Amino acid sequence: MNRHELQAMVEKAKEKHKQLKHKICVCCGASCISSGSEEVLKKLQNEIKTRGLENEIEVVPSGCMGPCNQGPLVKHLPENTIYQRVDCENLDRIIESQIVEGKPVEDMLLFADSREKPFVNANEDPFFKKQLKIALKDCGDINPEEIEDYFAVGGYQALDKALYRMTPEEVISEVKQSRIRGRGGAGYPTGLKWETVYKYVSPQKYVICNGDEGDPGAFMDRSVLEGNPHRIIEGMTIAGYAIGASKGFAYIRGEYPLAIKRFEQAIKQATKHGLLGKNILGSPFSFEVEVRIGAGAFVCGEETALIASIEGKRGTPKPRPPFPAESGLWGKPTLINNVETFAAIAPIIQNDGEWYSETGTAKSAGTKVFALAGKINYSGLIEVPMGTTLREVVFEIGGGIQGGAEFKAAQTGGPSGGCIPAEHLDVKMDYESLTSLGSIMGSGGLIVMDKSSDMVDVARFFMEFCMDESCGKCVPCRVGTKMMHDLLQKIYDGKATQIDLDRLEELAVYVKETSLCGLGGSAPNPLLSTLRHFRQEYESKILKEA
Amino acid sequence: MNKISVIIDEKKFDVDPQKTILEVCRENGIEILTMCHLKGLMDIGACRLCIVEVEGINRLLSACTTKVAPNMVVKTATDRIKRYQRITTELFFAERNHVCAVCVSNGKCELQNLGYKVELDHIRYPHLFPQCEVDTSHPWYVMDHNRCIMCTRCVRVCNEVEGAHNWDVMNRGHQVRIISDFNTPWGQSTTCTSCGKCLHACPTGAIWPKAIVQGQLEKNPVMVTELVERRKMKL
Repeated sequence: MNRHELQAMVEKAKEKHKQLKHKICVCCGASCISSGSEEVLKKLQNEIKTRGLENEIEVVPSGCMGPCNQGPLVKHLPENTIYQRVDCENLDRIIESQIVEGKPVEDMLLFADSREKPFVNANEDPFFKKQLKIALKDCGDINPEEIEDYFAVGGYQALDKALYRMTPEEVISEVKQSRIRGRGGAGYPTGLKWETVYKYVSPQKYVICNGDEGDPGAFMDRSVLEGNPHRIIEGMTIAGYAIGASKGFAYIRGEYPLAIKRFEQAIKQATKHGLLGKNILGSPFSFEVEVRIGAGAFVCGEETALIASIEGKRGTPKPRPPFPAESGLWGKPTLINNVETFAAIAPIIQNDGEWYSETGTAKSAGTKVFALAGKINYSGLIEVPMGTTLREVVFEIGGGIQGGAEFKAAQTGGPSGGCIPAEHLDVKMDYESLTSLGSIMGSGGLIVMDKSSDMVDVARFFMEFCMDESCGKCVPCRVGTKMMHDLLQKIYDGKATQIDLDRLEELAVYVKETSLCGLGGSAPNPLLSTLRHFRQEYESKILKEA
Repeated sequence: MNKISVIIDEKKFDVDPQKTILEVCRENGIEILTMCHLKGLMDIGACRLCIVEVEGINRLLSACTTKVAPNMVVKTATDRIKRYQRITTELFFAERNHVCAVCVSNGKCELQNLGYKVELDHIRYPHLFPQCEVDTSHPWYVMDHNRCIMCTRCVRVCNEVEGAHNWDVMNRGHQVRIISDFNTPWGQSTTCTSCGKCLHACPTGAIWPKAIVQGQLEKNPVMVTELVERRKMKL
């Protein structure tokens, strides 16, 4: 397919959607499927067919819509009415009322306990109103299994623009201007990384998409991969063009079978349409993408371990320098970015870097996807501008704490991050502010805890996770996490003394500073931050000397 | 070849830019503690004993894997580094079951020497006392996992020098173990050539020949280094 044929496809897809009166999206993300959305989809499709409405109403499976704990979700477009907890029985009411009569079913609308009333147009609900969707923009509105749906929302236009109207240097400068930083957690400026890889001269370079999302309570990458896989392929291809790579790998964890299935399907569709493979859109640029499936090791989210895993070796990290930008996959210059970073590339190219950088704060531009979990009314996926306060995220978007309980702390960044106590609820969610509180942005997991949570137990839980997931290569992480876990258990059991606590603190700093990779380097963070904000909980469990 | 100058512990050296910090230090008589490093094998930076402070970098870097750079300022013996080296040594001893008094390598053991060097008088952390196997299935050698410190020198010498790749690593975290082939008894290995290089590469009494008793083990890790050097010269 050349670029003119692409334009024709896009126009055709847009035209087709204009003709439809209504579109009904049934969320077929992993969490809605687990609560039975596939049966709802099947039944709804059959009903529409038997009533002969298929030319007016299109029923499609879509990606994640956001409020996952209220699923299965069904969205009625263009009214943008979302129904929650739909099953095959109460679906009849939606069909009779919404589809036949055009009246919304009031008592099935998306609704969290803390809100005064439900909203017929879901965009008026603070959950959606406060969000700004860039990476997740079309996720939840399009069928991720049909490339035509992606065309209808302007898919692959950014790739066309990059290939025909921009040089690789211009693409990189646009990404630099957007000031986007790596969304995997560390926050390294993406444009700078691209430029570094671009500058290394090599006949073979690689692009890697890191989809080995392993933090407990985090599911941003999964939802993007499931909900809009073509966006990632487009982002990776643009990256390949910019840095001069002809091959990309998407490393997706094996626990995400649906994401893998949809991504592989998307690769096939893109290849069929000439958007991957040789001479993309008739240009001299060639690029292909291959999926590699992670085998369940958390440490493979670390870039050097991930590269070792793709090479077919044991997934253990290597000391850096050399960084992958210089010597990565099979010793070649390699660009490795997170799924969410690639998801933001197409909009940055299609609009421009400045447009993206207008959102967010001075040092952290753009938006960030968070996965809300824990004792919160709406748990699920949100995307907010950088610099949104934690209070807005928890109480306005998330609808507050379940059962009206008191907020105690929020854990950001999973096992590598830290907790934010109630007195810092007004902290801006950006890289620097979170770091200054002893937490990290991380990949975007946000676990909300109420007064029933014991912070020593929280620290112990995350330490147990790191202890199990340590690759065992370097001594501080392998033995240190085990020792720290045992000491935390001892404190939790009420058997520890002040000496144990002192040793624990010394070990925590030691492991943080001496570990080989980021896993060990950040493993003590939950412990250190709970000690910083909730020291009294540790001290109350310490045995007083007789 | 163009030389670059670096400052290590406040002394200036003009050195080859291809060298690592560790090589430069060793050549100039600056002591750096190591355990997973064995000259001739690929460095992996795993034991974290050779950590050094480099000015302008907020992380501690392993000297064995970091190449020197122009005007690099390195500190190898700050109080912080010494304190961390001691903790690392303590963790080595606490991790498995190291009983010098009954060990074949008593008196010639690199781990024991490390203990003397960091002046280890006691271990502040509880010993983990894991249940470890002793594999005596090989006709000549023994693999005692109680004494293994997971430096993986045996794995690397077997793979890189002998080319047999009998040894590898399995499991994660503190459960890691050295395995022969796909975790079969050493004696049943189809890849082991019984060359004995792993025995000489091993820094402790984890791999040893059957014919000896306590304190009798003679190891020659320099043999591995010399072998690699001689092969390079032939090429």
